[in-house]
Amino acid sequence: MTDDCLDGNGMAGLLAEATGAELTSAIRHCQSCGNEYAIGNHRAYRGAGVVLRCPGCAALAATIVERDDELLIAWHGVLRVPRPAAA
Amino acid sequence: MRETIEETAHARTLALDVPGWPGHRAGQHLDVRLTAEDGYQAERSYSIASAPELDAVELTVELVDDGEVSPYLIEEVIPGDVIEVRGPVGGHFTWSVDDGRVLLIGGGSGLVPLMAMLRHRAARASTVEARLLASARSEPDALYRREIETLRPQEGLAVDWTYTRATPAGWKGFARRVDAEMLAAVGPGPSAGARVFVCGPTPFVESVSDLLVDAGYDPASIHAERFGPTGG
Repeated sequence: MTDDCLDGNGMAGLLAEATGAELTSAIRHCQSCGNEYAIGNHRAYRGAGVVLRCPGCAALAATIVERDDELLIAWHGVLRVPRPAAA
Repeated sequence: MRETIEETAHARTLALDVPGWPGHRAGQHLDVRLTAEDGYQAERSYSIASAPELDAVELTVELVDDGEVSPYLIEEVIPGDVIEVRGPVGGHFTWSVDDGRVLLIGGGSGLVPLMAMLRHRAARASTVEARLLASARSEPDALYRREIETLRPQEGLAVDWTYTRATPAGWKGFARRVDAEMLAAVGPGPSAGARVFVCGPTPFVESVSDLLVDAGYDPASIHAERFGPTGG
């Protein structure tokens, strides 16, 4: 049994630090299957960086690589990020 | 680190005093970063177990054999130690009593964020309808069991346990993995409009989410959170 978070929810701190936004509740429209899922609901895989995959079709959603002074983030599909006033 | 509480043979709760803590919502996370003497860093994201209404921030950590972080947090840390944390973080897997009725389904240590929600509900003396289905291997492995039993009489709260490997003597409750029949028995059913939170190991979450969708629950109402093998 393991104990730490292994999906998009677990990336909340990393994404908030890099972007200043709470992105786990942002909705991603998948470029592959066309379904929409919250970033928090995406599957996460850790290696040298983090890979997020669509929970519906497993298509690549994002890759996140941490370097000393920056994050490299590649997004796929369309992210719908609520504005703070609308949240 | 304020104090530690033994929960089961494999899990321990760490109560932290976090200076400047801005408050959290039930279901949010705290990231814990450990730095070795050679500069190597390991970071893990843990669900907060305590209610927002409590003055300490509690994490419940389950031991991962050969893990990088959890053995340290379970076996090494003592009150007075300082730990580097970041948070609270997250917004997708959160609930407050103002969000209305809720169905909580937890497997193993997936109970942790759901416990924060139940503690929040209790602290607010809310009677909003809440149903908990908690799956554990056996009664000794069941996190927070005694506390949940003290919550059980609350108005509007329904609790079911299922034990998948061993049951106590005379057990009349569920004794199998979560299935469609069990979900139908627990309710409240897809037409109730409840928010649903599912948390546990990845196969548990995927299986329960699929069962819920098959039963007619709106996929948008299902909030999932997976714990899994990351080297803990």
